Parts: sequence; structure tokens; C-alpha cells
Amino acid sequence: MGATAPLPSATTAGDEPRKGGRHAERSRRLGGVFLGIPVIGWMLIFFAVPYFLLLLQSFWEPGPFGTVHNWNLDNYKMVFTGDELVGDTYLPTLLKSIKIGALVTLFSTLLAFPLAYLLAFKIRNTRTRMALYTLVIVPLWASYLLRAYAWKVILGQDGLFSSVLDKVGLENTFLNDLLYSQWAVIIAMTHIFTPFMVLTIYAILERLPKNLIEASKDLGVGRLRTFRNVVLPLSAPGVVAGATFTMGLSTGDFVAPQLVGGKSDVMIANQIYSQFGATNNWPLGAAIAFVLLAFVAILVAISTLAERRELV
Amino acid sequence: MKPPQEPTSGANGAGGGRSSVALEDVVKRFGELTAVDHVDLTVARGEFLTLLGPSGCGKTTTLRLIAGFEMPDEGVIGIDGVDVAGLPPYRRQVNTVFQQYALFPHLSVEANIGYGLRHAGVGKGEVRRRVAEMMELMEIPDVGDRRPSQLSGGQQQRVALARALVMEPAVLLLDEPLGSLDYKLRKGMQFELKRIHRDVGTTFIYVTHDQDEAMTMSDRIAVMNAGRIEHQGMPEEVFDRPRSSFVAGFVGDTNLLEGTVTEVNGDHARVDLGQLGVVGGGTYDNLDAGQRVKVSIRPTDVAVTAAAAGEAAMIQDAVLVGGHVEMKIVGGGEELIAHVPRSAGLPPGQEVRLSVESDRVRIFGDA
Repeated sequence: MGATAPLPSATTAGDEPRKGGRHAERSRRLGGVFLGIPVIGWMLIFFAVPYFLLLLQSFWEPGPFGTVHNWNLDNYKMVFTGDELVGDTYLPTLLKSIKIGALVTLFSTLLAFPLAYLLAFKIRNTRTRMALYTLVIVPLWASYLLRAYAWKVILGQDGLFSSVLDKVGLENTFLNDLLYSQWAVIIAMTHIFTPFMVLTIYAILERLPKNLIEASKDLGVGRLRTFRNVVLPLSAPGVVAGATFTMGLSTGDFVAPQLVGGKSDVMIANQIYSQFGATNNWPLGAAIAFVLLAFVAILVAISTLAERRELV
Repeated sequence: MKPPQEPTSGANGAGGGRSSVALEDVVKRFGELTAVDHVDLTVARGEFLTLLGPSGCGKTTTLRLIAGFEMPDEGVIGIDGVDVAGLPPYRRQVNTVFQQYALFPHLSVEANIGYGLRHAGVGKGEVRRRVAEMMELMEIPDVGDRRPSQLSGGQQQRVALARALVMEPAVLLLDEPLGSLDYKLRKGMQFELKRIHRDVGTTFIYVTHDQDEAMTMSDRIAVMNAGRIEHQGMPEEVFDRPRSSFVAGFVGDTNLLEGTVTEVNGDHARVDLGQLGVVGGGTYDNLDAGQRVKVSIRPTDVAVTAAAAGEAAMIQDAVLVGGHVEMKIVGGGEELIAHVPRSAGLPPGQEVRLSVESDRVRIFGDA
């Protein structure tokens, strides 16, 4: 912290040993490359190549017996204008997916922050904290599909929720709208992504020096304003990281809408899915996928930029 | 700002003015551990008081009790005559300089210093003026736009001080503020702190484990050990007439020898140190003849003279330390350190006679 060693002396002193260290430096770098080969190879074969093939697809045309290699931008045009022949639109679905993703991110942040705060600051007993922490990550041990199905049992037709509504005579109220709707999708995904939010926010709150909070109070600033002026801004990087993750994954989700959503609640990933399945129009599916990918890439870029601004 | 209240304590500090801080019979426990054990402490207005002690002695906890970060289990804490029991830190007229400075990393230096004023509803222009004034006083006028991470340790230290002092607190609490600075900077900052204390006239309560720091800066020192204050007094008094063998050993180097009381005369006694002979010395304790006691003799007070063979003591080792020679002398199964002028010219192996003025010797019954 208090290192005040003058830089010039550090460089002059460092000149000599560097000569001897050059060999070691090079072999270390070579070793790094060597160790990286499996990962680089894996990423190349299973990540870069498929993406590249998909990108090529998006510039081709569907034919009766598979893709025709006829280069054009029609698929991308169709993403934005819709497919008049089939009567499908894609841009509104994409926008709706982004809206659902944003709501899921908002709700899981609102749920996760207080819990992470509780874990980091309010629970002093280590055993209680560990128990709560474990409860937060237990859902992650069950597969995503399983958890989505659990929500189907709760929110689905003849599910727990609807039978309770029937019993108490509320089946024709607004509560019924929660079933097989956008809201059901949002509830299920919020449940699925909240643990990730808790973990990223807790990680940063735990490292936040407690004496900063004490310093704020010491300077006459009460609890709430200390939270707003110290805890909140300093935990922003964790919130941004968690929100980026949640937003990216929930916008592109297709399991939750399929299991707990209604017919009209398809999200963009469902449309991509159907282009590669029932509709069998791979080039269009690829084009939609790349538009979605572009959105997520922009999201990540913005959050990286925001985080860098935080640091300077 | 606060309604005037009856002083919680009749005890006043030195100088006749009302006390600035008064702790009465304060106890703080953490589970099984009693961190602060029935502490009474009065600090006069404008005084520079140092809580001195080894780590874990309860000095930082005492400071945190005054700041309001901890609440006492027993006892009363008064600040400017107001009982602060149950008051959170943000309602106390005290400010703290934290050990690791605790500067807000996301705010500029200027925003850090102005943080408290801004939230107290002080106008923008006024905040600006007082922050600039403080930075002038701290001699860091040009770093206002920087982030704390871009400052050196010494500069961060000054920002932390400025941030606390700009609030014009009744009491400034300093928790080992020089602990993470290197030796030279620390020496310089000691004089700086003294100057700032004179300039602002605020009561300073300073926590440290460094006895040199305590001796140079303080008006008064309270030496703590195992949650208790063992001695409160002016630096010279604590050094010359320590109240316990712990204080004698912690404040300055000393030789602690064991002996048996042969004669008691009021606050003076004579102690038989076995083969090293009999010494007279002063004491605060009620001693009885025949009692086992500890005797403290400072290395600088030991007079060493050459003697013929057959004397009880011999120089085992002699090392040149700065302007004097530090000698390790053995005799009668005891080991003694003596600081002797270089001109004495006594070699290792030399048999010597030891003597000491009786008013430089302290005797403790806590053996």
C-alpha cells in the first residue's frame, strides 16, 4: 500500500538481472503456449469452427434438399422485416426477449442484493453464514432442466398454483394471468438466475473493506446514505458482472418459455430452435442467432467499458 | 447542535477545564475475552493522550468504544460532558483516522475530504473553501483531483487526517496512523502530527504500540496491558517512575531483576539481589520485608567500573551502538544490559563492579 520506492532505481537495478533472466523468460513463455495447446485446440474445434460454419450458413439460402450456397444478405433482411411467406416476425420477438431478459435481470438483482448484503455484513456467525450460502448454491446442483420442470409443476396447467386458485375461487382473477404467460417465464428464470447474482454480488461485498463503512459513519453519515454513497458504488462491478451474465443467458433462453410459457410467449431462441428443427431453414436460423449474438456482444462490451470506467 | 446535558462525570482532566473524554469503569467483552477491563480514563480538552500497549492489550477497542463502533458492556463514556451511551458513530462529535486510512477509493481526494461536510448539508462553496484550507494545512494542496490509489502512503495519511479534521471534531481519534509508513516518513510525520495538534488545538487520542512515538508526541500516556490501564502519566513520569514491572519493561529498555526485600521505609525499600548485592529504590507498592519483588534498572543508569579479579560480575559481550557501548554483563546467575560511554574502554572478559543511584531504581511487588 505504502510503497513509495522511486521508480528510476527500480529500473536501473532491474537492467542487469534481466540479461540472465531472458532465457528463463522465454522458456516460461514457451511453456505457457505448450500448456495452452489443449485448450486452444478444444476451443478451435468445438467453438470457433462451428461458429464460423454457422456464420457461412447465415449468408446462404435454404433449398428443398439442404442449404444452397448462394451468397446473399436476405436472411438478415428477413430477421428485421419478417418472413411474409410464413407470416412470422423476428424483430418483435427479439425485442420481447430483451425485455424479458431485462426484467429477469432486474428482479434477480433486487432479490440477490439484499441476500448478498445480509450474508456479507449482517450474519456474523460463520456457521450460519455458511449454511445460508450453501442454501443459495444448492439449486445449482440440480440441472437447469429439472428446475424448469419444477416450475412447470407449480405454474403449469393443473399445477399447484392453478389448483390452489381453483380451491379458493380466484381462478378468474388477474392471478390466473401468471399461468402460461410471460410472467411465468420471468418467475422461473428469475429463480434460476438469482443464485448467480447472489454469488457475484457476495464475492464483491465480502472484499469491501469494512472500515470504509465505518469511516462513512464516523464522518456523520447515517446507515442509509452510507449504503448509497459507499456500499452501492463499490459493489457496482459485481452487480454489472452478474447482470451481464443474467441478461445474456436469459435473453437467449428457450427452455423456460417452452415449459412454463404460453403459445404466444415464444422467445427468440425458440424461433432459432424451430428454424433448425420443424421449419428446417438453417440459414435464417443462423442469421437470427447471429443477430442475437451481436446483441449479447454489445452488452458485454458495454459492461466491460463500464467496469473499466469504474476503475480509473 | 446537541442539547446541553449534565456532565456524566465529576472527574475533570488536568488544567481545570472540563474533560473532553471521560471513561468510567468501562468493560467490553468479546465472548470469553475481556478486551477492556474496568478502564477509567479522563482526557482534558486539547490534550494529546496516547494509549500505549502491545497488540491485543485493548487499546484499539478502547478507541472504538469512544468512536461508537463498539458499545460497552458496562460503564459510562462521556464526550464533552454528554453521555454517549447508545449513540451511533454518526451522532458523536468525534472523528477517526483509521489504521489503513480507509479512504474511499471511488472518490477523488477532494471528495474524500469533503465527504462529511457535504453530507452534513454544508453549502458547496463552503465545503470547497474548508477542504482547500485543510489541504493547505496538511501541505497537500495539489492532489485534489487524484484518486487515493494514486497517492503515496504519506499523502494518503495526510488525506485521512484532513478528512477527519475538517469536521472540526471535539476529539480526534488516531488508530496507529503511522503504522504502515516507513521509518523515515514515520519520524517526519510524528513532528507533523505534533504541529497539527498545536495548530488546531483539538483533543487527540492516539493509539500505538510504539513507545518512541508515544514518548515524542504525547502530553500524557496511558499504558495498557491485558485490557487494563496500568499507568497514566506524563511521558517522563511513566519512564522514570513506572507503576508496574510491565510498564517499566514496555516503555524503554530495562533490566528486570528478582530479589528479596530487606528493609522498607515508606515509599523506599532495600532489596537483596543475591550476589549482585543490595540496592535501594523507590516503589508505589506496599512491600513487606522478606517479600519477593522485581527490580527495574535502566541500562543507561548502570555505572560500570573496572574491578580486581574475584568480583561477582564480568563483561560477557560489548557492542558499539551509535554513541555508546551496549554491554552484556553476567553475574550471580543474572544477566544485565548496561549502556556505557565509549570512553570507558572496558573490554569483554573484564571483571567489573556495578552500581546505580537509588533514585533510578524502581521496585515492584507484582513479582
